[in-house]
Amino acid sequence: MSEVAVPDSVPVEGEREVTGEVALACHDIHKSFGGVKAVNDATFSVPKGQITALIGPNGAGKTTVVNILSGAMRCDEGQVTMGDRDITKLPSYQRARLGLIRTFQLSRELGGLTVFENLMVAARVQPGESLLNVYFRRGLVARSERDNKERAAAILEQYGLYELRDSWARELSGGQKRLLEISRAVMAEPTLLLLDEPMAGVNPALIERIGEHIIALKNEGVTVLMVEHNLNVVEMICDHVIVLAEGRTLATGRMSDLRANENVVRAYLGGVLDGRVDS
Amino acid sequence: MSPLVYYLFTLAFFVFAYCILTWGLNLQFGEGGILNFAYIAFVAIGAYITGVTSMGSPIAGQAGSGQTYILGWALPFPIPLILGGLAAAAFALLVAVIAFRRLRTDYLAIVLISLSLVLYDVINNFVPLFNGADGLSNVPEPMADVLGLDANSFVPFFTGVALIVALIMWFLMSRITRSPAGRTLRAIRDDPEAAAALGKNVFRHQLTAMLIGSFYAGVGGGLIIEFSGAFNTSAWLPGETFLIFAAAIVGGIGNNKGMILGALIVPVLFTQLPKFLPDVPGHPALILNVAAMAIGVLLIFVLWFRPQGIIPERRRLSKLPMATPTSAATASAISTPPMVGQDTQ
Repeated sequence: MSEVAVPDSVPVEGEREVTGEVALACHDIHKSFGGVKAVNDATFSVPKGQITALIGPNGAGKTTVVNILSGAMRCDEGQVTMGDRDITKLPSYQRARLGLIRTFQLSRELGGLTVFENLMVAARVQPGESLLNVYFRRGLVARSERDNKERAAAILEQYGLYELRDSWARELSGGQKRLLEISRAVMAEPTLLLLDEPMAGVNPALIERIGEHIIALKNEGVTVLMVEHNLNVVEMICDHVIVLAEGRTLATGRMSDLRANENVVRAYLGGVLDGRVDS
Repeated sequence: MSPLVYYLFTLAFFVFAYCILTWGLNLQFGEGGILNFAYIAFVAIGAYITGVTSMGSPIAGQAGSGQTYILGWALPFPIPLILGGLAAAAFALLVAVIAFRRLRTDYLAIVLISLSLVLYDVINNFVPLFNGADGLSNVPEPMADVLGLDANSFVPFFTGVALIVALIMWFLMSRITRSPAGRTLRAIRDDPEAAAALGKNVFRHQLTAMLIGSFYAGVGGGLIIEFSGAFNTSAWLPGETFLIFAAAIVGGIGNNKGMILGALIVPVLFTQLPKFLPDVPGHPALILNVAAMAIGVLLIFVLWFRPQGIIPERRRLSKLPMATPTSAATASAISTPPMVGQDTQ
């Protein structure tokens, strides 16, 4: 990985550009691992109902930011808000219950469950998770399972995984695991979806399909924040872009505008203005 | 009763008792991913509490006189058995609240095995608790007085009781493992971080598995002391935990039916059965030592050739209707993997 020099005076334009309702925001986020500052004063907002890309060179702190936003990791300093609510200290399961659902950079399928069970386990309302209901309110559990089953079937159909419903999740191909993870996240009824490199390691045809699914989610009112290296994908489907470099917010705006931003070009694009960029 | 029949009833009793123990461990380890290397300590707590609540006060000169122990409530069956299970669960609560918050599976396993060793030393050396290394003896045979049972008739009677208890425990455990709660536990076992990202409270679910699994351990231990009438620290050396783990691995982790087979093969056929065989002249411990080695060989064999166990975890089918032509086409477009690992139950 090459070092990326970040100018001292970085114009952060994002906060001015997000004029609508903000779904998620982080303020002055810091995170260090030993002596390494992975995130150093990251501040940005994710506009509600839009698809926002989080881009930056390798080592920029994108995944660390996603981990902090999702609650998988605590920040050393700073604040994370979801709407008006401060969620900085909430654990990840409580954030998920607020509708903040994430996927992982490397697919994290639940391998000992079938594809169908992977979706069923993600359902938000599950009275059958309480043992009292399991023993004493079986009707309620059965009704909830039936509803969740119908929904899971519809999502599997939508994502082209229906035929694989009874396969072990661990037996799926890489692309299928990506689709499973996204469909599982959809099953969890997200209001805000964090996708960590959803297109990584999948073939071009599937990239197009995943892109269509993400746009469909946006049309259903889901806010999406996705870490992505493929700038063509970012340009095609994202309304808003946040550029991160050396753990800091470098710039925000539309992709077409950022291509003309000298700081972004110097720090991230490195003169390559098309396609995938990996420094 | 002929010695052979007596012997077969005794073996049957141990099958039922170890089934309960392996189901409890399976819930913790096979379903919940908790590597509880202190499992035998929870069995021991159940056994001791069942014993001291069955026996009368040592001061009153009742059964157990000459021994030193706490409680001595002389409660009628099955209350001591339930109390044994609850005591093991209460101890699990104490352990889990402290250890589960911060420790991951491997570190938790180290803490638990250390705890087992500490508890062993405390009970072994602190005589007023459970009579120290001598342990409890002359534990009253449940309902023997009421039903007028002698030593011979008690064995088949209590084997029947153990069968009934095992059936109840099977029913209760099946409900859990087949429920959404069981599914969530398996999700946490596979990937706790991914499960938390879906809104699952990993701590709460694992705590529940720990409590219920420990209750099973306590009830299993309680049955053993009620049956044998005695229990001391030689019965729960920390290595005994691995005997139950071996049973679970051989039978098939994540499958309650596999646990029955594992309980039959490892603790009963390889451990209890050799105890009843006549010694080889001049080599009194030979059979037991060979049996212990055989368990190790069996474990290596299973892990090498059939790591999923003899009866592997079953695939829970969706029972959804067959795929529509649309979905079949889209699924095949993103390459279909071979369907392997058929159902076993």
